[in-house]
Amino acid sequence: MSCEEYQNKLVGALANGEGTLHKEMAAHLRACAECRKVYEAQVNLFGAIDTGVRAMANETVPASLLPRVRARVVESRMPRRPWGFGWGFATVAVAAVLVISVGILRRSLEHTSKLTDRSPTVEEGVRAATGVTPVQPQVNVAVPKRRSTVATVPKETVRAPEVLVLAEERAAFERFVTDLPEERDVAVAFTRPAADAKDEAVEIAFLQIDELEVKPLESSNRE
Amino acid sequence: MRELVLIQPGRVLEGPSERECEGSRAHREFEERLAECGPLAFRVAYGVLRHAADAEDVAQEALLKAYRNFGRLREPARFRGWLVRIAFRMALDRWRSAKRREKRETGWTGPERSAAGPSVEELAVSSEFQARLERAMEELPEKFRLVLLLAAIQGYTLEEVSGMLGIPMGTVKSRLFFARKHLAEKLR
Repeated sequence: MSCEEYQNKLVGALANGEGTLHKEMAAHLRACAECRKVYEAQVNLFGAIDTGVRAMANETVPASLLPRVRARVVESRMPRRPWGFGWGFATVAVAAVLVISVGILRRSLEHTSKLTDRSPTVEEGVRAATGVTPVQPQVNVAVPKRRSTVATVPKETVRAPEVLVLAEERAAFERFVTDLPEERDVAVAFTRPAADAKDEAVEIAFLQIDELEVKPLESSNRE
Repeated sequence: MRELVLIQPGRVLEGPSERECEGSRAHREFEERLAECGPLAFRVAYGVLRHAADAEDVAQEALLKAYRNFGRLREPARFRGWLVRIAFRMALDRWRSAKRREKRETGWTGPERSAAGPSVEELAVSSEFQARLERAMEELPEKFRLVLLLAAIQGYTLEEVSGMLGIPMGTVKSRLFFARKHLAEKLR
């Protein structure tokens, strides 16, 4: 066996942690100075490796390690407020706000539709069914009671649908309103609320036919 | 003065539930193992990181993770090996992320650092050989590195390392042989 092969075997034995060498290798080491030198260098190298690794692996454990772990274990055992609680509360709050908002919106829409869309009256129903136009009742605009001599525009009129008025009519009306406080009697007469006109049922006489002439259809004559 | 207790019909007086009993039993068992295995977790982490504060953090996290999953462990006898693997894996993760960060920072401030060089304290603490040894260990495959570390920890025999990792004794020896030979070749 050559020196190189002996040296490989020596390194292998040292890497394996073998304390005693084989008789044959020991004999070669006694005889070969070069191999002995290599072997001694390898023994030192492995010794340094072992010392270095042991130093790495046996670092002093900090005294704070176990108390800190225990504290964290205790902390992790403490009952915590579940996430669901917060989310549940938020969901209920949002739902409540939504319901209230929808309610308010619907109420305001209903109020607006009452002002703008008038439901069909009795007269309209009768007109649609019979084609007879009953006498239209007088439409009275509700005017609030006057508290002062100055005419004020009631709030309801703001919401009423706009009406196209000629420019000269508008100017005349403005002049009339301006002069109204001076003519107190006229103003009172104009602004006094009219008596409520009660709706009366309209009676429609049945259609009376004196004579009824029955004629066969042309198509039936041919047959 | 007598204490009155209102008991609803068909309802039993409430004591500690079965789940609570199980939890406190697991807690006691874990507490028993903590004193024995805590230092081991730290040493394994230190063997990878070589930084006491980082190793302590990793050991803490590993122990807490082990505690949280302690109830799921089918064989409590394997706790030590299980904890060692957790600590080793977590330490490796931290070491890798630290390396990546270091690489980024070195990329930005590289010229200044190389000009300054290592401090006297750094040179004193880490000799050239130790630095080379650390580098050589970093190059070792994980399974060889773990066996080398565990075998070097004081108080653990190769049989215990074998039992801890759940691998045959022959495998432990062969991994140790490979690891030492690899280090010797790198440091020669």
